[in-house]
Parts: sequence; structure tokens; C-alpha cells
Amino acid sequence: MSGPDLSARFLGNAAAAAAGAHSVSGTGDLLAALGRIVPAGSPVYCPGLTELEKAAAPLFPNRVADCMAAEVTVEEVFGAIAETGTIVCVSEGGRAVQAGLLPAHHVAIVRRDRIFATLDDLLAVVAGAPPTNITLVTGPSRTADIELTLAIGVHGPERLDVIVA
Amino acid sequence: MSGAQTSLSFRSNAGKAVGNQKLRAAMKHAADTFGTKRIDAFAPVADVEAMRDRASAIREEVLKNLPRYVDQFVASATRAGATVHRAKDATVAKEIIRKILADRGARRIVKGKSMVSEEVDLNAHLEAAGMEVVETDLGEYIIQLEGEAPSHIIVPAIHKDRRQVGKLFSERLGVPYSDDPQVLTRTARKVLREKFLSADAGVSGANFAAADTGSLVLFTNEGNGRMVTTVPPLHVAILSIEKMIPSLADFPDFIRLLPRSATGQTITSYVSVITGPRKPGDATGAKELHIVLLDNGRTEILGGESRDILKCIRCGACMNVCPVYRTVGGHAYGWTYPGPMGLILTTLLTGMAKSHPVVDASTLCGACVDVCPVRVPLVDIILQLRRRKVREGFSDPKEKAGMALFGKVAASPALFALGQRLAGRFWPVVRVLGGKDVAGRMPAPAKTPFRRKAP
Amino acid sequence: MRAQLFGTCLVDSFFPEVGEATVKLLRRFGVTVTFPKGQTCCGQPAYNVGYQAEARSVAGHFLSVFRGEDPIVTPSGSCAAMVKHHYPALFRDDPKMRAAAEQAAGRVFELSQFLVQVLRAHEKGFPGKGKVTYHSSCHLTRALGVLEEPLILLQSLRGAEFVPLPDAALCCGFGGMFMAKLPEISCALAEEKADSIVATGADTVTGCDAGCLMNISDAMKKRGSPVRVAHLASLLAEGI
Repeated sequence: MSGPDLSARFLGNAAAAAAGAHSVSGTGDLLAALGRIVPAGSPVYCPGLTELEKAAAPLFPNRVADCMAAEVTVEEVFGAIAETGTIVCVSEGGRAVQAGLLPAHHVAIVRRDRIFATLDDLLAVVAGAPPTNITLVTGPSRTADIELTLAIGVHGPERLDVIVA
Repeated sequence: MSGAQTSLSFRSNAGKAVGNQKLRAAMKHAADTFGTKRIDAFAPVADVEAMRDRASAIREEVLKNLPRYVDQFVASATRAGATVHRAKDATVAKEIIRKILADRGARRIVKGKSMVSEEVDLNAHLEAAGMEVVETDLGEYIIQLEGEAPSHIIVPAIHKDRRQVGKLFSERLGVPYSDDPQVLTRTARKVLREKFLSADAGVSGANFAAADTGSLVLFTNEGNGRMVTTVPPLHVAILSIEKMIPSLADFPDFIRLLPRSATGQTITSYVSVITGPRKPGDATGAKELHIVLLDNGRTEILGGESRDILKCIRCGACMNVCPVYRTVGGHAYGWTYPGPMGLILTTLLTGMAKSHPVVDASTLCGACVDVCPVRVPLVDIILQLRRRKVREGFSDPKEKAGMALFGKVAASPALFALGQRLAGRFWPVVRVLGGKDVAGRMPAPAKTPFRRKAP
Repeated sequence: MRAQLFGTCLVDSFFPEVGEATVKLLRRFGVTVTFPKGQTCCGQPAYNVGYQAEARSVAGHFLSVFRGEDPIVTPSGSCAAMVKHHYPALFRDDPKMRAAAEQAAGRVFELSQFLVQVLRAHEKGFPGKGKVTYHSSCHLTRALGVLEEPLILLQSLRGAEFVPLPDAALCCGFGGMFMAKLPEISCALAEEKADSIVATGADTVTGCDAGCLMNISDAMKKRGSPVRVAHLASLLAEGI
């Protein structure tokens, strides 16, 4: 499967899991998309560890250093899985995986070349020496514990946006 | 398990459940919803049968070499920085956990959903030691507020409707009454977020453990499992020994099968792979990770004829399709695990003397076998347990006498014909003696049996 | 062609008309039907509740009665499944009996299976009438794998309309001794089945197992339903 197909498949499956699914080309486009997705003025946690995060960080005047104090986390994640519409959050390089958990809104940026076709492809890469935490995230937090009726946003984010850049 | 085991009163538990219309409606709704969602979730998957074969073969391989995989897991988890404890039974496991928590002065414990912790009745033990234990899975939280046990291994409060939950929340949490699941969920989020942030320790279960890397694998939807395992400084995981999978690379099929079988989801919102505690340079993970591996009779099961039940991956699909479970709900079974897998585990883990009536809780319809993602031969095992029940002398004496008679009469054409004549002649008496619920549901025997008209 | 008819204890004792219909059907398609004398029961009542010795005694008797090479045909999916799958297991540790069990298992047919697979009875079709729905019994479908044959026969009923039963795969609650051991659950399931049957608007419900039909019939009777409960053999035979 080629790159554009993988991206489309990933975004389609992510949308099916109730994530906001976006595709951008170039940094300018990414910043414009973030401007639309992130409510202006909200406290944002953006770790600023990668080039994309560094480019995005200045967008947020109310940037906070602790994800617990944020309403939105904007971060670049390890990768994505097309098969399931999943983003892959990994604790590698000092990244706080719980940053995508505590704030009510999680915005995950995935590089186009980091989309794995299947679960097998992803696990083949991480299975040998896994870091402390790998979390596969598919859609927002949800429950069906009351009458099997879907409710969104239990303990984790009630809103998840994925951006393929 | 909160409260004493009531499996011995299965029949009267079931009788009460059958008369409880609210429960019946909730169970029927659940069974219908799960049934449809499961079928829809598997529909687009190519070659489900081959996938089940592969997953079944991996589980079989684990059982064949379980001690080796457990040792390997212990070594690799230790290497990854976790402290692994082996508990031979429930008492030992509870005490290990209490001690870990008490030694670190933990007062407030947040818990993720763990059926193994229910099996050992962990909460009561920790509460008796003066700790506050807060269940954080929404369903578990609901039943904890109500003082009940789970009635389903995936959806613990499946027996309750939204009005009951609304009433419970307004009474116990002092919030305005609402029966909107979204509103109730938001209430729980608010109350429990406080608990997460102030907890001294998190206790979780695990769906699987990867032997080669020492990783724990957890499937969750709400995010509470992620909170429990990453927010407090101390994480204690309790799991039973058979949850081993040889390698993380073996997981794709389990990730595909478990959520689809359990809730009809393609994948759960979260699949977490936790390998050891926080390491230098990490910003994620509990500072300390303890893993308690519970045996509680499993090594003995492994050596017996019903060992295949240990292949079970706890998806709950068998109970969702079981006509008996659908009719009586989970509490009637009287212990931690309900439905087909549950009645088997209940009998094997708690012993025939404490549980034998639940081995009757199957029509042998086989719907469970149809859906089991790892091909546990549930009906065959139920039949094994029924034979064991007879062998060990737990069957009803009247039934035993009746069966001895049946064995003689049905092996002798003359006695069989005589029996037919007697039953025909004395049917009004048989009908009364047999009870309206049994003989009363059968027609009178034919005046002339077929054998007398047959070619 | 010759066939040995296994009537089953339920048909023999309670529903002889089903046995007669079976004979009529088989003869209609040129089968010489024999009824091995001395037949009783397949042993399921004991087997399903764990009475191994009693089940072996009855199964051993069955094997002593059903000898030879002719196919064994029975109007019961459950009894056919017992002979096919459980007999060889019952005599696992007895080479001589095991051989006999396997020989019988290799030639046992449930009636609809025999009618379609061997006699191709559906090709000629049957006269029929009314609106018919069908309960697929659990052992017939799951243990014996007979899913299509009864439906093929029902489709071949000329003049009858077939309506599928919602939740057809859900057990009716009979379960052999289950109905006696846990009657509350058994009745509740039969009630659910009756609800589904009534919802189809059919005037007849049919099936391939007298036990299930007996359980369903009781539930229908209790609610005073006019829906007729008829074994597939009776339904097919009445028009010919």
C-alpha cells in the first residue's frame, strides 16, 4: 500500500472511531489547521521536543509547562496504524504519554512517513525492546457501562484530533 | 468478590432472577446489543477462522509450557525494573499487596478494573487495613457505590438500567438526578479525577503479559486504566499466571480478536503496553511497579482434564450469547465469574463442594463455542465437570437413583416397553409427581407407542 | 435403498405421528425402511448430566441393535449428534466398542440431512400451505452442522410461505434434562422463543427435534396461541 493510501485509510478509520481527522501539507498548512482545531487562548501543553512541535508552540500564547494544567495537549506522536485508525504514543525520549490522557482535548500530529499499515508492522518495530509505555489510542475516551449506551470522554480526552502532516 | 459465594443456591438465585423483570429487560438488551455488535465487528475481517486458529495455537503453546513462560516473564519483568511476586493463593496475594501499600504509607488507592482482584476479594482486605479503595472504571464505580459485585466480566453493572444509576448517583454523590448516560459519565469523571490526582497508589489487572519483554498489556476504553498505571507514584498489578503470551510480536491477532469479541469494537480506545517502572529520563510510568502473579489453583487445573479453560482470554463473548446467562444475569452464579467460562472457573477454582449446582447452568446449546475467539471447548468441559460432579458424589440422590434406573431400563427393550406402558397408564400420577414445571410441560404419552406401528 | 430408522425415545413414547411421517417420507423416495427391534434411546438423558456408566450402558445397547451397513436415519438432530460425536468419545478406552461406535457414527443421518443429501427430496418438492417459520435446534446446527438442509426442504414446500424466525439461533431452553433441572430458566427461554414465533405472524412453526418442539409447544399452549407446532417430518409428509 502506498503512502497516500495509508494516510487515507488511517484517517478514515480514525474518523470512524470518532476522532477528528485532518491531513495537511507543509508547516504553514499545519499551523493553520492547529489554529482552527485548538480553541484560542486555552491553556495548551506542547512539549516542543520535535521540529513540528517547535514550529507549533509559538501558536499558543497560553502555553503551560505541566500537562495537568492544560486543557489541550498538542504533540507529535510516535506513529499511527492505518488498519485501526490508531495513534501510537510512546514514552521514548522523555515524552510524557499521560499528556495525551489528562487534558480534555488531545491533538496528535503524525508524520505521513510514520503510518504503519497494520498492527503487525507496528509491533515488529517496538516488540524487541519496548520503552516503559506504549499506548495505542483509537478515538476519544469512551464507555458503554450504562445500558451499553456510548458516552464519550470518561477519564481520558473527550476530544481527539489527529493530523497527518 | 464482595460477599460470600452463593453458587450452591444457583437454582433459587436463578428463580429470583427470572422473576425480576428489570433485570430480564437489561440482560436481553445487553445480549441483543452485544450479539449484533460482535457480528458487525467481525463481518469485514477476512479469514476470522484462521485468526482464531492462530490465537488458539498461541494459547495452547502457552499452556503447554506455562511454567517456562512464567519464569521467563518473571526474569524479563525484573530486568525491566519491576518487582515480581508470586502468590500461590488469594490469601497470599492480598497480603502481599496490603504489605506493599502499607509499607509505603499508601492511604488512598485507585483501582482499574480487574477480575482477578475480584477473585481474591482484594478491596475488602485493603479496606479492613484502613485504606480507601476507589474503583475507577465507571461500571465498577457504580457497583462499588451500590455495594454489589460485578455481574459481567467486561460490563460490571450491566444488570442496572440508567434510572437506577441516576438514582444511585444523586443519592450517594449529592448531584441532581439525571438518567442521561453522558451526564452520569461526566459526574463520574469529575468525582474520580480528584481521586486519581490525590491517590498514593494505583492497582490494576492486566489482560496479558508478554513473557519475552516482561510487559503488561491492558485493554481499556475509559482511560482510567491509563490513569491508574501512570499517575500515582506506585503501581501494583495483579494478574493470574495463565495470562502469558510468548512475545509482544504475537499480539496483533489478540488485539483484533479481544475487543471485537468483547464489545464489538475494532479496537479498544486504549491498548497500553507497560514495561517496568519509570526509568531515568522517562516522564511516564509509576516510580515503582509491583507485579503479583496469582496461581490460586491454576497449576492444578493445568494438570487436569479441563485445562483448556486456561486458554480463556476473558472477552465475555460466551456469556453474551449464553441463553442461561441472558436469562438470569451474572449474580445468580454466585461467584466472580459468570456465564459458560465462569461456571467452569467457579467450579475449578472454588471446588465442586462449593459450586456444583452451577455445572447445570447450561443447555449445552453450544452458542459459546461458536463465538469463543480462542476455541475453548466450553461444552466439552461442562460435560467433564458434570461427570466429575457425579463421580464425586455431588449429584442429587433422587436423580442418581433415577439415572441408575434409566441405565437399566433403556438398555433393555422389555423393561423399556414396560416403562412406557406404566408411564402411559399412570400418567396423571407421573404428572403430579414430576411437577407442573417438568412433567406438566410434557404431553401425555401416546396410547400406542410408535414401536408398535413401526415397519 | 434401505435405511434403519431410529425413532428416538421421545417420538416413540410421545409423538408416534412423527415416526409415521418419517416412514412415509422415506418410502415415498424409494427407501425400504427397517425398524431395528429392541431400540430404545440414544442415552443422552444420562450422558448430558454426567452419568457416564449409564450412558455407556444405553449406548452399548443401541450399538447392539443397530448393526449392519445401512444408513441410520433419525428425526432428531440431537440424537444424531449424540451417535455421531459422543458415542466414539464414550468408548474411547474400549477398542472393540469404539470400532462399533465409529461404524455407527459413520452412517447416522438426521432426517432432513438424509432427505436432501442422499435422497435429494427437495428437487421434487412437497405440497404445502400457509405461513411457516422454523426453529433451528442447537444440536442439529452446532453439533451436527445441519444448517441448510431443513431450509432447503422448507423452500421446496410449494404453496407455503417461509418466514425466518428472529433470533433463530437462540436456544429454546429445552436442553434435555435441563428442562427438568432448571425449569424456571427453561420456561423463560421457551417464552422468549414463543415471542419470536408469534412476531413472525406464521401459522406454523416447525423444527427437527421433538424435544425442542415439545418445549415450544408448551409455551405456545400456555399463551393460548393458535400457532401450530409441527415436526418437519409431519409437515412434509402431510401433503404427500
